[in-house]
Amino acid sequence: MRSSLGRAAVVLLLLTTAACTADDTTARPSGSTPAQPETSTSAAPADTSCNPRASLRPSGSLPEPGRMPAGSYMAEIYQRGRLVLGTSQDTLLFSSRNPFTGEIEGFDVDMGRQIAEAIFGDPDKLQIKVVAYDKRVDSAKDGTVDVVADTMTANCTRWNSVDFSSIYYESGQKILVSKDSTIKGVDDLSGKKVCAAKGSTSYDNLGKLTSRPERVALASFGDCLVAFQQNEVDAISTDDTILIGMAAQDPYAKVVGDRYTEEPYGMAISKDHPEFTRFVNAVLQKNRENGTWKATYKKWLGQFGPVPNPPVAQYR
Amino acid sequence: MTTTLTPPGGLVHRVGRLRRHSPGRLQLILAALVTLGLLTGLVAGLTANAASTGTADLGDREQPLLVEAETIYTSLADADTTAAQAFLAGGLEPADLTRRYDADLARLATALTSASRRTPQESPAAQAVEAIAAGVAKYSALVATARADNRQGLPVGASYLSAASTLNRETLQVQAQALFQIAQDEVDAGYADARSSWWLTLLVALFAVLAAALIWSQIYLSRTTHRTFNVPLLAATAAFALLFVGAAGVFGAQRGHLSSADRNGSTPVSTLAELRIVALSQRADEALTLAARGGGGDSEAHFDAVTPQADFDDPALDDVRTEMNSARDGYAAYLALHDQVRELDDGGDYEGAVDLAVGAKSGTAFASVTDALDRAITDRKAAFTSQITSAGTGLDLLTVLGPLLALIGCVLAALGIRARLEEYR
Repeated sequence: MRSSLGRAAVVLLLLTTAACTADDTTARPSGSTPAQPETSTSAAPADTSCNPRASLRPSGSLPEPGRMPAGSYMAEIYQRGRLVLGTSQDTLLFSSRNPFTGEIEGFDVDMGRQIAEAIFGDPDKLQIKVVAYDKRVDSAKDGTVDVVADTMTANCTRWNSVDFSSIYYESGQKILVSKDSTIKGVDDLSGKKVCAAKGSTSYDNLGKLTSRPERVALASFGDCLVAFQQNEVDAISTDDTILIGMAAQDPYAKVVGDRYTEEPYGMAISKDHPEFTRFVNAVLQKNRENGTWKATYKKWLGQFGPVPNPPVAQYR
Repeated sequence: MTTTLTPPGGLVHRVGRLRRHSPGRLQLILAALVTLGLLTGLVAGLTANAASTGTADLGDREQPLLVEAETIYTSLADADTTAAQAFLAGGLEPADLTRRYDADLARLATALTSASRRTPQESPAAQAVEAIAAGVAKYSALVATARADNRQGLPVGASYLSAASTLNRETLQVQAQALFQIAQDEVDAGYADARSSWWLTLLVALFAVLAAALIWSQIYLSRTTHRTFNVPLLAATAAFALLFVGAAGVFGAQRGHLSSADRNGSTPVSTLAELRIVALSQRADEALTLAARGGGGDSEAHFDAVTPQADFDDPALDDVRTEMNSARDGYAAYLALHDQVRELDDGGDYEGAVDLAVGAKSGTAFASVTDALDRAITDRKAAFTSQITSAGTGLDLLTVLGPLLALIGCVLAALGIRARLEEYR
């Protein structure tokens, strides 16, 4: 961190000198802004003011489908006739478009379908809206979607804007490189171009690495894979689950290194209706206990190893 | 002679001395008439030549370039729409959409080749054409990869398609629009060149001076020589009058046809081209909104923003009223269907929205708009060509005959005045 601050100071100094010699009337702040974001975000310490895994405790038992408590947000969804799920369409295994059918499917989509089933008794009463990575918090917050399930890490910064469900998947960040690459872990990323989606925690985490890779932010991880296949970036770094989905599509790619971060996935829900978050947690709790979670895991991720136990729910 | 030793002062002095006696004055008149006559003939020829070149350029280069720029733009937009629709349809690309995409790219390649032939090297238009050609190679490679991935069931194909679409819309279409603007400016400049107004003004001024000189000389001669008419000089006047009438006829007709070509050809073609661009970009917006699955978004906002630009009642399009009426009806039908598509999608029925958007009903309604526009453009292009061909008539003849007639006039004038000069010998 010290070196990055030192570098920022040098950059600032150079820019100021350049601005002064070129034209004394040039405003210094505007001249120095381009260099700022990169260094400031990477220098920002992680927000550890909370336990991001702890969600709202479910209240009582789950109501029968079709019998939502009057005045609750679930009743509103029932009235509308469909649950609106915010997700992506290019994260293979979690939420991606099946090229054969055109349907969006995956682990995250099934999470949404299980909530729809609990409300309507019909998992198909689900409307999928694709939200950009950097719009996930906003679209849950402003009610564009009822719930976001999109490989989204629950962290304290996001908890300030939205509520998260209890953790439904534990992931961690790794690196995807080409088959013949010499990169073996995060320490080898120095000076390499590494892609991550704009607005993802993966992008922020890359900024904290001491090896200081050159970060490339694209709109989605699908775009990162396109850039990787066109040799525009040397590596992609994000949650291992997403990387496995990419490697499955590209026999010339491999996932390397150990998990260097912890990424607990939660579903984002607006703070305006905590009763819905409690309801979703009750659905998750039921599915952890009756084996639905394991079945879902097996369906999408079973090919990569034995099915683990579901993450244990934590409540405040 | 001492005068040759000091030429400038000497010449003025000598000319001044000529004025003081009758033969000298006659020599001066002769020199002035011949100079003016030759100059008028020369300028008449040059004006006709400039107008002819300008008219030919307008017909062979500037106007076709505009049409090609529009073809480039609409082929790009249509390729983008087709690719997005094929994606929406899901599964293997429908064969008719593949064919349409291939036809778009073929038309694009032809228009680019033809446009590059019509643009001078290093010009902004040539640079725009080169940039588009280079980008199209990358674009078609991205689409090809998307297809190959789709064939293997790899979801990354969708990302390739989205990268291709971004390249198409944010880079290639912007360059095509710039080229269209350059071509539009060149057409405007082409009309100015074809009218050759500066040359024509000079010619009219010369004719006026020449006419005054001829009339004054004849009045002078009839007063000083007791002969009412100098026949050769009268014949010279007639020759120049003939030249004047001929030039006035040719240039008048040319300007009339140029105005018609502009009013009934270039202007409606530009307006129609812009209409087609609006319609095609809206069709792409619709498909991209659905492909993004975000409900609404930037593309839909663009759709709504450009809807008022689709003005089929523009008075410039009065010549193609019938086509415009059917285009307007088709467009209204299409807009109603589009509203249904949005309603379905916003109401949660995504599959229904897609089925309606890529289905035959929407396709037919939209095709009735583009077909009517195509017919109208073909019709107006023909009107332009016929007017431009008529505008060029007689200009080449005038280029040759103008100076020749002036030469005859000068010879006649010289004969007339020399006859009087002889009397002083």
